[in-house]
Amino acid sequence: MELIKRALARAFARFEAVFEYAFGQRNTPFACLGALGWYFYWIVAATGVYLYIFFDTGITDAYASVEYMTHDQWYAAGVMRSLHRYASDALVIVVVLHIFREFAFDRLRGRRFFAWLTGLPLLAFIYICGISGYWLVWDQLAQYIAVATTEWLDTLPVFGEPIANNFLDSTTLGGRFFTLMVFIHIFGPLFMLLLMWIHIQRHSGAKVNPPRPLAIGTVGVLVVLSVVFPAVSQAPADLDVVPAELGFDWFYLAGYPLLDIVPGGQLWLYIFAAFLVLAVLPWMPPAKRVPAAAVNLENCNGCTRCFDDCPFSAINMVPRTDGRAYESEPVVNVNQCTSCGICAGACPTSTPFRRSGPLQPGIELPHRSIADLRDELVAGTEKARVVIFACDTGDTDDLEEGGVKVMRLPCVGMLPPSFVDFALARHYADGIMIAGCAEGDCHHRLGNEWTIERMARRRDPYLRQRADERRLCLSWLPRGSSRRRQRALAEFRAALSEIDDE
Amino acid sequence: MNKVVQALLYGAFAACIGYLSAAPTYQYADPELAVIKLSLNHAADRVEECTKLTPQQINERAMKGEPINECARARRPLAVELDVDGTTVLSLAAIPSGLWNDGPASVYERFAIEAGAHTITARLRDSARETGWDYEYSEEVDLVPGRYFTITFRAGNGGFAFR
Amino acid sequence: MSLITWKDEFSVGVAAVDLEHRELIELINGLEAGMRECATQTMVVETLGEIYARISAHFALEEKIMRKARYDSFATHKHDHERLLDELLDVIDSVDAAGRYDRAGLSRDLDRWFSDHFRTHDAQLHQKLG
Repeated sequence: MELIKRALARAFARFEAVFEYAFGQRNTPFACLGALGWYFYWIVAATGVYLYIFFDTGITDAYASVEYMTHDQWYAAGVMRSLHRYASDALVIVVVLHIFREFAFDRLRGRRFFAWLTGLPLLAFIYICGISGYWLVWDQLAQYIAVATTEWLDTLPVFGEPIANNFLDSTTLGGRFFTLMVFIHIFGPLFMLLLMWIHIQRHSGAKVNPPRPLAIGTVGVLVVLSVVFPAVSQAPADLDVVPAELGFDWFYLAGYPLLDIVPGGQLWLYIFAAFLVLAVLPWMPPAKRVPAAAVNLENCNGCTRCFDDCPFSAINMVPRTDGRAYESEPVVNVNQCTSCGICAGACPTSTPFRRSGPLQPGIELPHRSIADLRDELVAGTEKARVVIFACDTGDTDDLEEGGVKVMRLPCVGMLPPSFVDFALARHYADGIMIAGCAEGDCHHRLGNEWTIERMARRRDPYLRQRADERRLCLSWLPRGSSRRRQRALAEFRAALSEIDDE
Repeated sequence: MNKVVQALLYGAFAACIGYLSAAPTYQYADPELAVIKLSLNHAADRVEECTKLTPQQINERAMKGEPINECARARRPLAVELDVDGTTVLSLAAIPSGLWNDGPASVYERFAIEAGAHTITARLRDSARETGWDYEYSEEVDLVPGRYFTITFRAGNGGFAFR
Repeated sequence: MSLITWKDEFSVGVAAVDLEHRELIELINGLEAGMRECATQTMVVETLGEIYARISAHFALEEKIMRKARYDSFATHKHDHERLLDELLDVIDSVDAAGRYDRAGLSRDLDRWFSDHFRTHDAQLHQKLG
């Protein structure tokens, strides 16, 4: 399993390098595959509404209405139809990439299972919607799909009489079955929207809109495709005729030829087994049990900064329980906390300046406490002139060298900005480098975005005004970029010595 | 940021969708062959005869509002056979549907066959007899390539129907 | 005699904020008293750090309340918070670096900052929050 993941991750890294080069780190499609999925969904829904206006439900009327749209109204409904099809295909592309990527980058393990698990029925529904759509055209492809699908469904012991009998020959098809298909094709996507909403419930501020350049680019190129290469129907359906050669939409129908080789019942078994395997992936092998964030009420006044910053909606503000005059207190949902530590970075009491009592902020990770962080920073920094705060996901193993000290955090978002100020003001370092994941692709979703905002003094807690930004280097790089990271470090050190020379 | 590479990537994206949404074509069936579809849904007789009740028992039950028959629920499996030009191509026993095997049995078979003239014989047994057939129908047909030939069954209409 | 005495005009009308104001004043007064009794420099730095941590949290809470109430002078009030934090840190560092503390100057600064901030920004906030 690990080998597959690592191989996939390497493949993605190589593929994505081209996209990073072409689109820039912030606008690369790979950082927003889920958002692109939402976007294509809306395009399909909108074009679908338009098509529905002109679509006639009925065994003979359906084909005729689609032909009218495609040929007579080619400039509007025809384009809409093609866009409807091509955006649906685009949806499959981004969703499949999304699934493999989340798997390869370990974004489904342990307490992050929810999005993965809720995505599985979503995948099934994408196919139900897509396939039922092809059914509605009632051309030869639709006829093939109808017979193949009903025969396949009949292998389940659910129906008293085989539903394939509806498509036995041209005398058996009733209009009611057709209406059922329309119903599925309209309410399927609606239900899918509910599933999509559930899918992002545990991701606060989930990205559902791709960056504007990508949005314009993708819809633009799909519209051009729709005009230049319109989607067309095949010969009208005739249940007495055996469809011989069919133009296939391989994005949705790739499984159908399997039905001609594998018995239907077996295929159900394979699919069921596949879904089962996918469903247990978050726990195969069991994820390491990392302690969740812990609240220390003595040092907490319910300022809600941790609640605002948690990327996984794992913190809830509840009425105060310790009797002090504060209104609320944070409670960590240990089943949702991914132990990223971003809450500790947001807490105003996470400041390393010496205090009367032990350094314990209102919220922190028990196994990587703020006090430990300070001790590590302060200890043995004689020779280290650059301190690098690096996240566990980055490649920073080979950065340790003379004069460089690397301190690891589960996520760079755990670093309170006061640490930067503290290190610089007390001369524990000449320069601080924060080495995290690529922008838009933080392993814990919001770590690098929050860090950028905090250091730019746009998001609480602000970096102190007196901290010299020239001595702070923010380095955002994708996985597998150790050489680029080393280059960034070398450049930073050179810049630092220039400042010191002044 | 490189607009040229961007354009190439977008182009590849569109080309991939444009091509794979309609090609390569799938050859589902051989246009030279005809296809026979056999579909029927029929309830066989029950396995056991209903027990004969005395008139007194029937009366008693009627007074209590209970059903006046006493029959075991299970039905026999349906035996179906299909011959083409004297050779048996299909011979099966369809199990009745339902949890207690008391519903109608379904048969649905589809297979390709050479076009042209054939003698097709369909047989069905739904009673307790050991040999022989309750329903049998034979016809010489001319199968057209690329078209379906359906065989259905309706007891009420006298048995098999060829189309 | 304490350095800062709680006055009703310091109240902002929110129990939590007032509690923190009172606690901060206690801390500051405690520091003042300690300095009068010749506290060690370490103790002074530690108490100042404690004040810094507590006041950071206090400002965070006030800002949350201001945001929720859509306080129109939020930006200026927050700006003052940031300024106070910067200045306090400068004091902490200078005391740490100098190895000793200037009792009179420190008392003056603390009084000025907090009383000024209470009197101006927090009083204005009280008016808005009612």
